[in-house]
This record gives sequence, structure tokens and C-alpha cells, in this order.
Amino acid sequence: MSKIEKNLIIDPDIDEAVEYVEVWEDVVSIKDLVLSLIICSITTLGAYFIAPNEPPKPLFFGLFGAILGFAICSILIKPKRILESAKDGK
Amino acid sequence: MDLTLLISMIAAALIGTALYTIIGIVPGTDETAVIAPITLALVLAGIEPIVVLTFYLSAIIAHKLTDSVPVAVAGIPGGVMATPMVEHALVLKRYGESDTSIRKMVSGSVIGTLVSVPISLLLASALIPVSDVIKDYANPLLFAGAVLLALLSKNRWLALIIIIPFALLIQGLRSLYWSLNIVPEGTNVFISFFLGITIGPVIITLFDLLNKEKRTSLVRNRKNTIVFNETKQDKGFPNPFKILSPKEIGLSSLASAIGSFTFILSAVGTTTLIGELFSNREKDPVKKSSLAIACMEALANATYISGSLIPLIALGIPLSSVALGPANALFNAPPVFTLEHNLHHILSMGDFLWATLIGIGISLVLTYFVIVRYSKQICTFVFKWIPHEAILGLFLGLVLLLAFMDAGWMNIGGVLLIGLVAGVLHRWGVNFGVQFMVLYSAPWIISILA
Repeated sequence: MSKIEKNLIIDPDIDEAVEYVEVWEDVVSIKDLVLSLIICSITTLGAYFIAPNEPPKPLFFGLFGAILGFAICSILIKPKRILESAKDGK
Repeated sequence: MDLTLLISMIAAALIGTALYTIIGIVPGTDETAVIAPITLALVLAGIEPIVVLTFYLSAIIAHKLTDSVPVAVAGIPGGVMATPMVEHALVLKRYGESDTSIRKMVSGSVIGTLVSVPISLLLASALIPVSDVIKDYANPLLFAGAVLLALLSKNRWLALIIIIPFALLIQGLRSLYWSLNIVPEGTNVFISFFLGITIGPVIITLFDLLNKEKRTSLVRNRKNTIVFNETKQDKGFPNPFKILSPKEIGLSSLASAIGSFTFILSAVGTTTLIGELFSNREKDPVKKSSLAIACMEALANATYISGSLIPLIALGIPLSSVALGPANALFNAPPVFTLEHNLHHILSMGDFLWATLIGIGISLVLTYFVIVRYSKQICTFVFKWIPHEAILGLFLGLVLLLAFMDAGWMNIGGVLLIGLVAGVLHRWGVNFGVQFMVLYSAPWIISILA
């Protein structure tokens, strides 16, 4: 690899454009967190409101909405963790 | 016991185990915040009480064991209860013994369970006569519990002083809802306030992000680097009693027995205190750390089992930090359960035995199998594919839903307020136990003061 090429490779761990923040002992990006909060709120409350109005159906729909939101976010958002492996004793 | 019920119980145990094997591994998740809302949802959905109990028991066993797995695999705790084990796992890693961590953990967990289930059941049966007396004094007892836990917390004077103002906040919101006719007078909004407290630490961090000065200190440009230890996976199924040395078996059994008797106290506190106490006398660093890990994992299981089963079977009121936290929905989830009508009143001793046998039995065997064989694969899967953002979204979605169901749109603001105050208190070292006890005894405290 030539010198120039090497300089072009950006360290994947550092990304100046993205703001990361630690919430609940793990790192998230603020933009993705907002996105996820919006998606999950909409799916959860949305499912709750379209449910037939006979208990406990609204609750079940709401729960399903929450899980649906979780699934959508898991597909859309990439975890901000970098996995490396190390030998013992280091 | 009829067959359909038995099948639903087995299914509940399997689902609980699978779900919490994954959730347990996710870094940083607090036990109360992940177990309470889902148990609550099942209770409110009208699932048979004995099936909910089976689900809950399988969930705590799976969660307790799997939240320590990332400690051994990558040196990061999967939950609050696993935090005290981190330094010992790091010592073992330094000496090239990462494999040992996992094996000692799973074996410790088996010992803790086997010791604490019979002790909890016996202790509970012994305490049953007391429950008639306790019934009349539930409120003062919960208040006394709040004072006791406040005295034991990190900043005891702060925690003591905060009891009355926090009770005022809770009752203040409730009477506002009554006077606005949002909920009928006398109905205590409980579930969503409970969740507000649980999710408080997250809410306050989210508010910090909106605060410009705080934000600059919080933001960083780095992802989270997780270093995996290279471990060999076991091919067969090692006998847990052979993995531990006789000394480790003896001490972790003794620790579990003590942990079962001190069921009222904080589970994390007991685990750290007794775990360190028992391992401190061992001088050799490797032996000391593996002893500490075995004892702590045994204790974690023991405190959770005793803290759930004893108050449920004997008392009917949540007089332990575990009962107030993760097991809360089994005691109070209006309109389905109240302090006068909950699992304690509904289920017989036989029902409790069945639920324990199926819930704990299935979960222990399955997690043992899965962790001994696939700990690394599961960690890799969770770390690689489950974004933390989605988990936060899921739980805030649930809080939003239950807040709205409790008392409409206005209550979303109310829960946010409670979460904000609870988050500040948590940051100041006032533990969840104190806050939950105040939540329970608020109506009584205010009626005494008025």
C-alpha cells in the first residue's frame, strides 16, 4: 500500500461528523437515538390507537407495536460497538 | 394440575429463558427496568397468575446468569448485578484464565439456585404465621423499610431528607389527576410512576443532551470498542460440582444461605459485601478471583430467588429490594393485583412449588447448556446486531404506552417529571429501593402528615 493511500484511510473508530454519547453504559449516536425514540413511540402508540376498544386488546396491540418498533430500529440502525479479539494474558 | 396449564407454564418458562438470555447480555441494562415492564404487561394482559410467576422466575435465572457472561467474554458487565465481578474477571484474564471465569460463573449459579430454593421455601413457610400480623401494618412497615434502606444508602442524610418531598410529589400528582377528573378519586396511579422511577437515570441523561453545557462534556467521537477474550469452548457438559474446588463449593453454598436470609437488603449490596468478604482471605490472586466469581454468581441467584419467593409466599407485600424492583408487578399491578389481592393471596403453596420447579428448573438447565457451549457466539450476535438505540426506544415506548393507559396524555408529562426527579436522586446515591418504598407508602405518609 502506498503512502498516499494509507493517509486516505480514515480510522473507522473516529468519526468527527457523528456525535456519540454514552447512555445506560453503552455508546449511541444522538441522531440514531432520536430516530429510534420517534419510531418506537409512533409504532407503540399507533398500534394502541388502532386496536379494537375492548381490553386487553389495546395493550396487546401496544406491546406488539413496541416490539415492531424495536425490530425496525434493529434493522435500520447499526450498533456502535467495535469487536476486537485479544489473547489472554495481555 | 391440568395439562393446558402445565403446557402454558412450560412455554412461559421457555420464552422467559430465551428472551432474557439475550437481554441479559446487552450491556448496562438494569434488572428492574428490563424485567418489571414485561412482567407487568403479562399481568395486565390477564395471563394466569401461575404462568406469569413461572415466566418471572425463568426470567430472573436466565438474566442473572447471562448478565455476567459479557464480564467473562469481554470484561464489561451485562447488568448492575454483574458489576462487582468485573475486577475479578480481569485478574483471571491477566493470568490467561478467561475460560475459568465462565465455568466458575455457571457452576456458582447452579449452587446458588440449589441452595437458595429450599432455604427460601422453608423460610417462607416459617414466616407465614407472621403474615397475619404484617397485613395490618403494611404501610408503616413499607415506610420503615424506606427509612432503613435510606440509612443504608450511599448518601444517607440526603436519602432520608428526600423521603417526604418525594412522597409529596407523588401524592401531589395523584390528587391533581383526581381534581381534573382524569382518574376517579381514590385510584392511585401506580404503574406508570413506578416505570418513571425505573427509567429515571435514562431520562436524566436524555435531558442532559438538551442542556448545551452538559452536552459538550458528554459527546465524544468514538465508538465503543469491545475486546473479546479468546476462549476455548467446552465440547461436553462439565459437571458443575467438579468445576468448583471443595472450598469454592462450601463457601459459595454458605454465601447463598446467608444471602437467602438477608433477603430484605439490596441484592447488589449483599452480593458485593459477602462476595468480597469471603474471597478476601484467599491470598493467591487466581484462586481468590475464581472464588469471588463463584461466590458472587451464587449470591446473585440466591438474593434474587429469596428476595422474590419469600415476600411472595409469606408476606404478600414487597418487603425486599428484589420484590420492590423486578418482581413488583407480582405484588401490585392495579387493577389486576393490589396489596390485598396478589399472587400471595391467589396461589397455594403447591402452585408456588410447581412454578418454582418449572420456571427455575427449565431456565437453569437451558442457560447452563447454552452458556457452556455458546457463550461467545451469543455475545457476538448481541453486540453485532442489537443496537442500543433500539433497546432504549423499546423501553421508552413501553413507558409511554403505560403512562398513557394510566392517566392519558397529561400523565406522559407526569411520568417525565417523576423520571427526572428519580434520575437526579439516583445520581445522588438514593437507590431505587428507597424510591420504590416511598412510592408505596406515599398515601400513608401524607395522610399521617396532613
